[in-house]
Amino acid sequence: MAVKKLSKEKVGEALGELSKFRLIAPAKSDEVVVFKQISDPGEAFLDYGNSTVPPKKFAFPQTETLFRFMVGSPELKEKNVEEEGTTVIFGLRPCDARAMSIVDKLFSWDFDDPYYLKRRELTTLVGMACVEPPSVNCFCTSLGGSPFGTEGLDMLLTDMGDYYLVQPLTDKGKKLEETLSAHLEDAPADDEKKAEGMAKESEGKIRRSIDTEGIPEKLPTLWDNELWKRVSAACLGCGICTFLCPTCHCFDIQDEVDEGGEGRRCRMWDSCMFEEYTLHASGHNPRPTRRERTRNRINHKYSYYPSRFEVIACVGCGRCINLCPVNIDILDILDQVVDA
Amino acid sequence: MVDVNKLREKAKEVVSRDDVRLLIGYRPGTYGFRARPAFVLGPDEVDELIFTPACVNNLASYITLEEKLPVPRGEEPDLRKVAVMVKGCDSRALVQQMEEKAYDRDRILVLGIPCKGVVDMAKVEARFPNVLERGEIALEGDKFVLSFDGTREEVAREELVADKCLRCRYPTPLVYDELLDEAVERFADDDYSDVSELEKRSAADKWAYWEEKFSRCIRCYSCRNVCPMCYCEDCVLDRLQPQWMRRSVDISENTAYHISRAYHLAGRCIQCGECQRVCPVDIPLMELNRKFYKDVEELYDYEPGTSVENPPLLSTFKVDDREDFIL
Repeated sequence: MAVKKLSKEKVGEALGELSKFRLIAPAKSDEVVVFKQISDPGEAFLDYGNSTVPPKKFAFPQTETLFRFMVGSPELKEKNVEEEGTTVIFGLRPCDARAMSIVDKLFSWDFDDPYYLKRRELTTLVGMACVEPPSVNCFCTSLGGSPFGTEGLDMLLTDMGDYYLVQPLTDKGKKLEETLSAHLEDAPADDEKKAEGMAKESEGKIRRSIDTEGIPEKLPTLWDNELWKRVSAACLGCGICTFLCPTCHCFDIQDEVDEGGEGRRCRMWDSCMFEEYTLHASGHNPRPTRRERTRNRINHKYSYYPSRFEVIACVGCGRCINLCPVNIDILDILDQVVDA
Repeated sequence: MVDVNKLREKAKEVVSRDDVRLLIGYRPGTYGFRARPAFVLGPDEVDELIFTPACVNNLASYITLEEKLPVPRGEEPDLRKVAVMVKGCDSRALVQQMEEKAYDRDRILVLGIPCKGVVDMAKVEARFPNVLERGEIALEGDKFVLSFDGTREEVAREELVADKCLRCRYPTPLVYDELLDEAVERFADDDYSDVSELEKRSAADKWAYWEEKFSRCIRCYSCRNVCPMCYCEDCVLDRLQPQWMRRSVDISENTAYHISRAYHLAGRCIQCGECQRVCPVDIPLMELNRKFYKDVEELYDYEPGTSVENPPLLSTFKVDDREDFIL
């Protein structure tokens, strides 16, 4: 079967076809690119660098009601993820898809998280290759990713100018290709080869890097190293680096009860950079300052996670570097780890 | 502009003093045009210090942001001064903090930097994307001069300058122990035209406008954490028992969060603009703060953070205070 292409003129009708599912695509909110559920294909904004907030929230919502209850009543109304229906995330970047495959390991580890895993099962990921690295701080190639990486994706689209090259990668991707078949045409025979060349070219344009060899083993030996004080001195303790990280997955669970006694148990993103993250009921905090919290953020990504799951929990998207208000730069920290 | 050698000399002198524990200044960032806060502990660490129009951070926030661990039994607390470099706008945060008696004047040593404007880094990076190697920015007359990757670009000041600098009333710090350069006379004023425009809109329009903005909020609390006036030891947002504000991230809770914060800053915000600068999803928070700022100035002829002798607005009462806005 010939490789297919999707003409840019037909993207609208293809998205229209997909809107029978829960369709998530990059869109503009003012000038900020966010992933959101779209009903009108015109809302999709595919000519983008990368979204400010990663699309992880469509597998792992920032706030998720697990069940509803009435104070004093034993009855619970549980969440049914199935009701959200089949979901297509259209146009995400390869790093963000790879991040999801990394986070999958956690949510299917000692306990199969039914909400997350059901949602992942229902979701098809359609990636958009980075013909140009979206940011000066991209470093996906240092972590085993690529601007044209396919890990975690069900289908990859590559912008060839007037059309997208369509490459299904999994059964889900093939199924989606069938769904879209009326809108696809045969691609020129040498396009896949051409795309390989474009991938190499784009990889060559990634300018930041880190040699991660040895870092997971070295980090635990630097527990009391003075570098942590130095790299965290300017930290504000906000949640930008963690909330915008496509692999950060920490959550808190809280009950929210209305005046009438109607309540819901929610799970919500939490951040290890927040002061109360490890605050004990006794008032003791084992991570009392931003030094310990910064150390934890780096250790979790580059040491604890690989020691458990054999993969570093960072995909090199560069968001934490681009958006840190005080220019705390994870590659700068890792350089200091290497040099320590 | 401040002479960098003079700045480093002064910094060396200050951190060498027995009564100074730490100096907070600026150093070049890790890439491109960025600069970042520097925490200098000794005279051998001053050589990286800079001051350029890339030095956007308000370092006054760090005076109250510093986490102090309990002093172990038998040890004395370190009461030496913290020295801090501030621009005109940033100095007002120190003034307001001291008006509110957050700490005593003699706990800090202020190195004032008269300033003719810093850049809006988002504008710089939009104009010159993909600059990785360290680039320099200088203000020469009415132009920013950017040097990077072996090239030199001149850009008119108003194209890259931070919006707050276009209406800056206090370019020279209002509190300092030493000024590092000649004082700069006021060269701009604030006519609140942006606020007036917003005020003219209908309630429905305003709601649609803010709903779009607040719905993007991810509640990272960077606006709160960077704010020099948000220094409560125990923030109401972090309280879980009782939970005054829900953690749920939705339009209702997000709106409640931003309105609460704006009210807590009424008569206190000194317009450094840091909240809006750091917001990762570009919520124009200064539009809320500036509305309050304008109202406070018009109603009470009061500007926060302008004199340590002034009592904070909300702790004063005059019998002829305007009250016609009370429903």
